[in-house]
Amino acid sequence: MIKRTCCSCVILLLLLSVNRAEAHPHVWVTFHSEVLYAADGTMTGVRHAWTFDDMFSAYALQGISHAKKGQYTREELASLAQTNVDSLKEYGYFTYARADGKKLKFSEPVDYWLEYRNAALTLHFTLPLKAAVSAKTMQIEIYDPSIFVDFEFAKDKPVSLSGASQCLLTYDLPHQPTAAEQARLSQLDAVPLDASSSYGETFANRILVKCQ
Amino acid sequence: MTRSRAVPSIALAAILITCVTDIVSAWSAPFGAPHSAAGMSASGLTGWIFAEQAAFYRSLSGFIRAAKEDGAAIWELFGISFIYGVFHAVGPGHGKAVISSYLVANEETWRRGLVLSFVSAAIQSVVAIIVVAIAAVLLGATAKAIGLTVHLVEIASYALVILIGLRLLYVKGRGFLIACRELTWHQVPDLAFASPPAAGSLSAATFQLSERRPGAMAVRGGQCQFDGCTAHAHGFQCHHDHEHHESAWGHAHGPEPAALAGTGGWRRGLAAVVAVGLRPCSGAIIVLIFALAQDLFWTGVGATLIMGLGTAVTVAAIATVAVSARDLASRVAKSRAGLGMLAMRAIEAGAAALIVAFGILLLAGYMASEQLWMFTR
Repeated sequence: MIKRTCCSCVILLLLLSVNRAEAHPHVWVTFHSEVLYAADGTMTGVRHAWTFDDMFSAYALQGISHAKKGQYTREELASLAQTNVDSLKEYGYFTYARADGKKLKFSEPVDYWLEYRNAALTLHFTLPLKAAVSAKTMQIEIYDPSIFVDFEFAKDKPVSLSGASQCLLTYDLPHQPTAAEQARLSQLDAVPLDASSSYGETFANRILVKCQ
Repeated sequence: MTRSRAVPSIALAAILITCVTDIVSAWSAPFGAPHSAAGMSASGLTGWIFAEQAAFYRSLSGFIRAAKEDGAAIWELFGISFIYGVFHAVGPGHGKAVISSYLVANEETWRRGLVLSFVSAAIQSVVAIIVVAIAAVLLGATAKAIGLTVHLVEIASYALVILIGLRLLYVKGRGFLIACRELTWHQVPDLAFASPPAAGSLSAATFQLSERRPGAMAVRGGQCQFDGCTAHAHGFQCHHDHEHHESAWGHAHGPEPAALAGTGGWRRGLAAVVAVGLRPCSGAIIVLIFALAQDLFWTGVGATLIMGLGTAVTVAAIATVAVSARDLASRVAKSRAGLGMLAMRAIEAGAAALIVAFGILLLAGYMASEQLWMFTR
């Protein structure tokens, strides 16, 4: 009986321990991002193209009137694009930028539209920085801290650079936590991070621009 | 206490602690550690489960498309839907915690736990189907409108969870207090029955009866008090709502759990599963609308129902484990009159308090596990 009890306890604890702050993503986004630089060498913003998975695309398109079955024009999708960028504001557009470690602020998106191709919606939008900034190292991360949305670099040419020939562009895929990181994660409950910590971003999709 | 007795008690304590830690971590997350860190800590088994369920979910669209070309693919779709349901329910949400706490608090049998798990999962699927059928098929509503509808249903569901939790907490909290008193006055048990303050008894009667006939019952409660019924707790039972009072007051006398699992209990249980099941699964809504866009609405309905079946299997498994742990603890408690009974009452009241806490956190959005209105609100 002890064995059975122990067994059931272990199973129960295992299942309950899953009940952490985990989320079920129901939206998958593959993205291309272009980092925008002005002629004077300052960074001005980011231009995104986010492609949603086919199921979420179908969901978002529900009830959108269109003339031709299976086809949507940019005009027909204009109101949905507006809704998209409006609702993204609450989440800071899932875009986090730092210039030499200092956090940058974005203003409202401009030049946004939706495109429907191959049964998937792509949201195009440009996020201008509140103030253009020049820095040796520019770091831009795209992720959803709550993981309701799963972000993934597009397979071909995920990032590009516009107007900064003297700079070098690289990107890091999110990685599996290393042993040290795993250990730090397990202590988060006991030793919480302070507000300025950027630890959680370790696992974000990261774009790096290094300039001379 | 021998080892065999200690085990279930420790198990239950561990379960309660785990639940509380979940709540605390959910609570502290918005202010302390960023969500990403906690979320990304998925590794080993947890990580595997999450990766699997995501993979199954993403494969659903392919299978739905295939079902359009080839009728036989529908069976593959149903198979994948079932497995997805099983994996998906292991994650947060889907009322596992609320149902398990409810079963522990309410001394439900494992058989009833199974039935309640399946009923709640079935309601969840049916609500998703009804929402999509009315909003999308009949009204041609947009994702924005559907998201809003689901959000409102969600709020109603969480509010009901809180109400049910409060009601249970009230009943079980009293049970605990009475057990405390009984323990204190163990030498003169008769006194214990006479002791509940008249005002308290009256409010208890009013509270429980107001569900049916508020006006009449409140008066009855008053009469009861004047009639001197309060002198003996059992006096209440002869008037009304037999079954309910037994669970409210009967605990003080330690009745057999079987006596509590009476027919009327189904109604109580139903309220709990309706509250939990009301909230439709976001994944099911998206799958249904995707199927609708492929002109395969009925295929989507089938997949949703089978997904619910998979969810039910997981929830039922967890509920069964919770009930077994409780039963074992209860067996130990019986052998230790007094303290043991007090411990059981404390566990029940604690489980009821957990339901309230879960409800509040869900309502406040700190425990949300999936969101439908991302991008479309």
